[in-house]
Amino acid sequence: MLEKPCIQSRGFRNVERDEKIIGFQVNIRSLYYRGLWLSQLRPATVTVDGESFSGDQITWTINDVTYTQAEMANLGDVHWGLLEPATLTVAREGGLESGSHEIEVSFTYSCSYFPPVVDTVLGGTHKRTLILV
Amino acid sequence: MTNRVENYEKPKRGVSLYSYAGEFGVTMSLEDMFAEMHDLGARGLEILANSHIEGYPNPSDEWLENWDRLINKYDIVPVEYGHWVDSRLYQGRQLTPEESYEMLVRDFKLANRLGFTVLRTKLGVIDDDLTPVENWKDFIKMALPMAEKYNVRMCPEIHAPTLLKSKMVDEYVEFIEQTGTKYFGLNIDFGVFTTQTLPASEWGPDAFILPESEHSLVEDIIPLLPYVYCCHAKFVKMSEDFQEMTIPYEKIINTLVEHNWDGYMVSEYEGPKKDVTGYAVEQVRKHHVMMKRILGE
Repeated sequence: MLEKPCIQSRGFRNVERDEKIIGFQVNIRSLYYRGLWLSQLRPATVTVDGESFSGDQITWTINDVTYTQAEMANLGDVHWGLLEPATLTVAREGGLESGSHEIEVSFTYSCSYFPPVVDTVLGGTHKRTLILV
Repeated sequence: MTNRVENYEKPKRGVSLYSYAGEFGVTMSLEDMFAEMHDLGARGLEILANSHIEGYPNPSDEWLENWDRLINKYDIVPVEYGHWVDSRLYQGRQLTPEESYEMLVRDFKLANRLGFTVLRTKLGVIDDDLTPVENWKDFIKMALPMAEKYNVRMCPEIHAPTLLKSKMVDEYVEFIEQTGTKYFGLNIDFGVFTTQTLPASEWGPDAFILPESEHSLVEDIIPLLPYVYCCHAKFVKMSEDFQEMTIPYEKIINTLVEHNWDGYMVSEYEGPKKDVTGYAVEQVRKHHVMMKRILGE
């Protein structure tokens, strides 16, 4: 079972490549009642302790495949299911220090059965304090 | 009609798993939701493809085997398979009829594999009145032979603020009559009969509340019944004495009984506190007390 909030505490960690910490990861689940095709998603913004990241600073990993946010706009046949947390990997040299961090994740998505005007409204900003061990 | 398996001509009870959206994956698994339905004696199942099929649109063999096992174990009748033609799948353009057709057929195959015979086919809309995309007739027509092959009926959901007496419903009926098809019909959401609104204070501060709108008369459903393959028994609040507070259920169910409509009414909870653990589950239980009493079960 997943944790109730969008932002999951499990999976919050620094990411290492070639023995250097290049960023951090946080898992999110969709709070929408149905899964989403990646092309329905609009790029996410992640804020950590007031510092914001967006665009190509963030990748999404869903079912072990990693996508850039630009790629996702064209992926109408890849599905993000409700039971599959997405891992957002954020590029930040040195990662984050162990301890508490204020995390905010924002994204929206289109929904074709609602009036077109709603496309920029659904979704929103999720906040949670996470502890990096 | 394969979704009308019983011999008596009476509406039957079911549940749309949408009702448990706040619980799924957090406090309830698919099996928990089936077990809950079994407890209620609500055999008719509505799933939402994109929500409840793990690995959608390509579930694993293990998942499919488990599905078959659960359907048997809990004596569930797969009734309605909710799916979408996401017309605004890509930003800045609408799907072509061919792309929409492909989306439909992908779901026909999966719905058929899972045992469903009715589809709640949600079309993309182009305006605030929920007018469907202009090319809907093109791709629905293209898909009819495949719907027949896979034995599924595509049913757009008639949902508030749409009225049963409206240009939109007239066009759907006209399409059914002109094509003579048995593979396209209607799902009526009982929210179209809403006569009372819950006070705003009942909803949470962040809730999206559907603005008050004109409602249909219960008798307006009668001429549509030959085309109605499933109903969404929408509800927003059950009182402590098992009354739904906004929708005239007794009149609706009695009308269906009088006209020998024997499809499934699947409970769809769309009220406040969906995110409060256990709340929606209790509401659905109360809803089935009410429906059982009206049906005289």
